[in-house]
Amino acid sequence: MKCHRGQLIIILACLGVYSCTIFEKDFDNPVDFEANEEKGIGAPTLVFYPKTQTKATSDSVKVGSFIVFKEDSTKSFVGVHLQIEFPNALLELDTIKPGLFITDTSNATPLFTYTYDSINTIDIYTYFLDTLKKDLEGTGHLADLIFNPVGVGSDSIFYNLDECEMINHQDAQIDINGERGAEVIIQ
Amino acid sequence: MKKIPQYLLFLFLGSLYSANLESTFLVFNHFDRDLPAAEQALVDNFNNSTFEFDPSIYHMFENLDNHENPAASHMVTIKELGEKYQVNYILFNRIEHIDDRFILNGLLFNTRSGGLIHRRKVDLKQYLNGQINELNMWVGNTVGQVEKNWENNRKSILFSGPEEINYEKTPRGAAIRSLAAPGWGQAYSGKKVSAGLWASTESSLSLAAIISFLNYDKAAKSFKNNSKLYHGTNDEKEVTNYRAAAENDWNDHVKFSALAIAFAGATGTGWVANSIHAWIVGPRAYKNLYQKWDPKSTNTTG
Repeated sequence: MKCHRGQLIIILACLGVYSCTIFEKDFDNPVDFEANEEKGIGAPTLVFYPKTQTKATSDSVKVGSFIVFKEDSTKSFVGVHLQIEFPNALLELDTIKPGLFITDTSNATPLFTYTYDSINTIDIYTYFLDTLKKDLEGTGHLADLIFNPVGVGSDSIFYNLDECEMINHQDAQIDINGERGAEVIIQ
Repeated sequence: MKKIPQYLLFLFLGSLYSANLESTFLVFNHFDRDLPAAEQALVDNFNNSTFEFDPSIYHMFENLDNHENPAASHMVTIKELGEKYQVNYILFNRIEHIDDRFILNGLLFNTRSGGLIHRRKVDLKQYLNGQINELNMWVGNTVGQVEKNWENNRKSILFSGPEEINYEKTPRGAAIRSLAAPGWGQAYSGKKVSAGLWASTESSLSLAAIISFLNYDKAAKSFKNNSKLYHGTNDEKEVTNYRAAAENDWNDHVKFSALAIAFAGATGTGWVANSIHAWIVGPRAYKNLYQKWDPKSTNTTG
């Protein structure tokens, strides 16, 4: 009988303890405008995805560059200039690829180029050209940056927002209201 | 001092006279079941007494205890009946049956004074010819003629050694059973309705707690899965969808957690209350067992 009572108490206690576990809401995807808004970062926002990654020295580090608009207040754009700085003590630039968002219907990116100062700053210039539509609208993938680790430690890749620009097909500038960097940990 | 022997002589002669005087009784029998041998048994067993039977009058004694002075409540009527029937005493016997027990309520009135001079209430388990035997003992007690075999008949149903009584069912046993399974203790005590109520209430609460917990568990797992998918994609639409799904799951897991705690709490509280209730309504001796008063006892409380 004592054994039954013990089992009962344990079952009830477990039920109580497990029922009490309330998980924390952790919505922090950089591509989510709501998550950025909750952090006080206004849209449109230049972000990297993933926001953090851990790699070994033998791996390559791939970071995606995205423009994120608020769902109900998107603006049309065609040209973008991104200035990105990265920790050269930790990473060296390997490759830069155009993002899917700025790839036209023929799977071509006729106007996509970049400059690298051979230190830690990359400037990407791109202009959307398509035969079916003249501009882009909404959140999308602008570019992929691939780095090779050269050291061990952790640091951030970030946008230099003062130099970043976005224009529409009438060459009018569209304000970029925020940016989010990416953390890279090399072990 | 010289007068004392005279008083003693007077008392002796008086008691001798009264002992030899034939008692006459007017008997009102009121039985809830037919006892055809009762009247004849009184006539046969008490030859020194004369009995008149009248089944019609019994209502006047129904609510005797409601009177301010029950012993003197019907003095005039008793005296009138005594004169009418020419009897010394009026005997009222009522027998009621409750399940396997019977209650004998006996009242003896003196027609000279009109007062209640003797009263007996017996609550006993039925035994063979128990009603007749108890009537004999009651009347025998009033006329001072109790036969040994009547006492032996009654003793046959009584415990000779109350201290040796071993209770098969106890309130503690009921409480422990209800603690193991709600309603079991009540069923063990013969309380079928409350057993069913407790069992169904606790089953419902437990089921509600389990269902709430399972829903909580499902929502929590879905929340974790959708959160993982949300963080694992850079597609704008997928991010929005997974976030919406995860938000719903989060709300559900909070709601079902609160419900599970509430139902589990109610189940636990009810479980304990059920056990206490089982102890309260648990099986106990039907009536107290009285020990025969010992005149030699130093205990004056009786």
